[in-house]
Amino acid sequence: MDFFSKYRSQIHTKTMLLMLVLQVFVVGSGWLLYLTNRTDMMQTLAAMSVLALCGTILFARLVTHTATEPIHMVWQAIQHIAPHGEAQPAPKVESLGAGQELVSNLVNHIYQMASVVDDIERTNAKKIQDIHTNFVANTLPLPFLVLDKSDTIVYVNEAAVSYFAVPLDELEGKNVYTALDLSFSDDQTLASWLKEARVSSVTSRSKWERVRIGLPGQKDTRQFDLAAHYNKANPMGYETMLVLFDHTEVYSQDDQAMSFVALSVHELRTPLTLLRGYIEVFDEELGPNLNGELKDFMKKMDASAQQLAAFVDNILNVAKIEDNQLTLQLHEEKWEDVLRTVVNDLRLRAGVRGVTIKATVARDLPTVGVDRYSIYEVVANLLDNAIKYAKGTKEVHLNAVLNKDGVVETSIKDFGLGIDATILPHIFDKFYRNHRNRAQIGGTGLGLYLSRAIVLAHGGQISVSSKVNEGSTFTFTVLPYSKLAEQGKTGDTNGISRGAHGWIKNHSMYRE
Amino acid sequence: MEPTTPTPQPRLKKVLCIEDEHFISELYTRALTRAGYEVDVQLDGQKGLAAAQTDVYDIILLDLMVPSITGIEILRTLRDPRETPKMHARIIITTNLEQRDDVRADIEHQADGYLVKAEITPHQLVEFLGRLES
Repeated sequence: MDFFSKYRSQIHTKTMLLMLVLQVFVVGSGWLLYLTNRTDMMQTLAAMSVLALCGTILFARLVTHTATEPIHMVWQAIQHIAPHGEAQPAPKVESLGAGQELVSNLVNHIYQMASVVDDIERTNAKKIQDIHTNFVANTLPLPFLVLDKSDTIVYVNEAAVSYFAVPLDELEGKNVYTALDLSFSDDQTLASWLKEARVSSVTSRSKWERVRIGLPGQKDTRQFDLAAHYNKANPMGYETMLVLFDHTEVYSQDDQAMSFVALSVHELRTPLTLLRGYIEVFDEELGPNLNGELKDFMKKMDASAQQLAAFVDNILNVAKIEDNQLTLQLHEEKWEDVLRTVVNDLRLRAGVRGVTIKATVARDLPTVGVDRYSIYEVVANLLDNAIKYAKGTKEVHLNAVLNKDGVVETSIKDFGLGIDATILPHIFDKFYRNHRNRAQIGGTGLGLYLSRAIVLAHGGQISVSSKVNEGSTFTFTVLPYSKLAEQGKTGDTNGISRGAHGWIKNHSMYRE
Repeated sequence: MEPTTPTPQPRLKKVLCIEDEHFISELYTRALTRAGYEVDVQLDGQKGLAAAQTDVYDIILLDLMVPSITGIEILRTLRDPRETPKMHARIIITTNLEQRDDVRADIEHQADGYLVKAEITPHQLVEFLGRLES
């Protein structure tokens, strides 16, 4: 017998029973009334009718309650699991008399259906989310890869497939290092980073610049920056995410190439070479026959060409310093020889301005550790400035001594314009020049900025003292070679590499 | 700048000038010839390299930016005994191109001299070559 038939027969039995009780009660009580009180028939019938009416009302209430309570409970159960509206407590099926089994069965069905619906909804939401993720990853306009914990590529987006120019099945499911021929610019590679991350991190991020990849069937390599995110605890097993930023064009240009400054310098130097060559030819051929004034002009022309060549070098060196590209090759040099070269080269420029360079170099100077090209620029710039600012005075003094700190100190002194005290603190700034002097003196203000950078890169110091109308003294130091070799922990006579912003890391001498 | 004084005939006298800037090679040829050198000029890199490999020159002036092959390539080929088994010439780099300092150091290491053309006059080049003999 099913739950419903059982419920129907329960109701049926209950109703029959109640009807019987009611009849017995009404008939019994009428009969009793009649016998005991001896009332007449009409009175008895009236009393019985009243009793039967009351009994019927009571009976109807009881039957209705019994019959509708299960439906009420089913309604409660539905309300209980309904997603919207007011929360309804779960029905207490065990309190039910008739139909308890039927109702508890129905309620269970309702609950089961609800949970199925719930699951479907949840699955749909996840599906939608997956579609979103897939859409985002696939339409991401950057190559994107996912690796699992064994370095197998588990996902590649469309941009990556087209970037690597290989079919998807040659990437997905393959080991990243065999599928992709990557090379990094130094020891810190994807493999080394991942190895470390797996040991020491739960999540980690890294990026690399100038990563190269060789592509099958293509001659040129591609170059890109690579960003990676590692997450040991990713529940899907998506351990490492890689995003590539292609810079092939820019990097290969850099590789072959010359910066704007380098190109400009080359273009400036070619006519300068010719200019200086022709001036020399003219001087050789015509010099003996020229009158004093023309001879003077010839010298001025030559000095100007020299000055221009020196300025071109300044531009180049400033650009190198800005790019952190200036590398010094420090060699053991006789300081007197270095100074003599500069003074000889500057004599013409001094001469055309009517200035004599008086150089005094102490006899006991130790050899110094300098990059002869760069330190030449320093002395040349300082002397050139002194000559320019001498203005009407006849001499520029150059002195080199071993100072009390045991370093070689060189000072260059003029007796000319001098520098205002308010300007002095900014004198080594790039492009900084005295406004008052700008009209009177040529130059860009690059020279002192450059000199300071080069001196500091040598491990020396540079300073200035000045008084208006009395002249200026620029003083800088360079290290004796013995001290420098001591700093480098060895007396390597092959020279020491240094950058403008500190020691050059790749020099084996400075590797720990 | 003094007028050219008659110089004794140089011992290393056959010079190959690999230089594509015609006016520069003209100026150098003039100064060197007057000082007693014999000068051949090649304007093209490949032709210059071929000439250099004949091993008849004492001195090679090598510009780094020449057509068809770079000066650095020429330098490497000339210094590689498999490519150039017989090579006794002194190689002097003459350039107006600025290298990165590390590249420059490397080039200087392979060459016998490195000159920035804008920083010297033809006469100073002659003086420089004269010092090679000592």
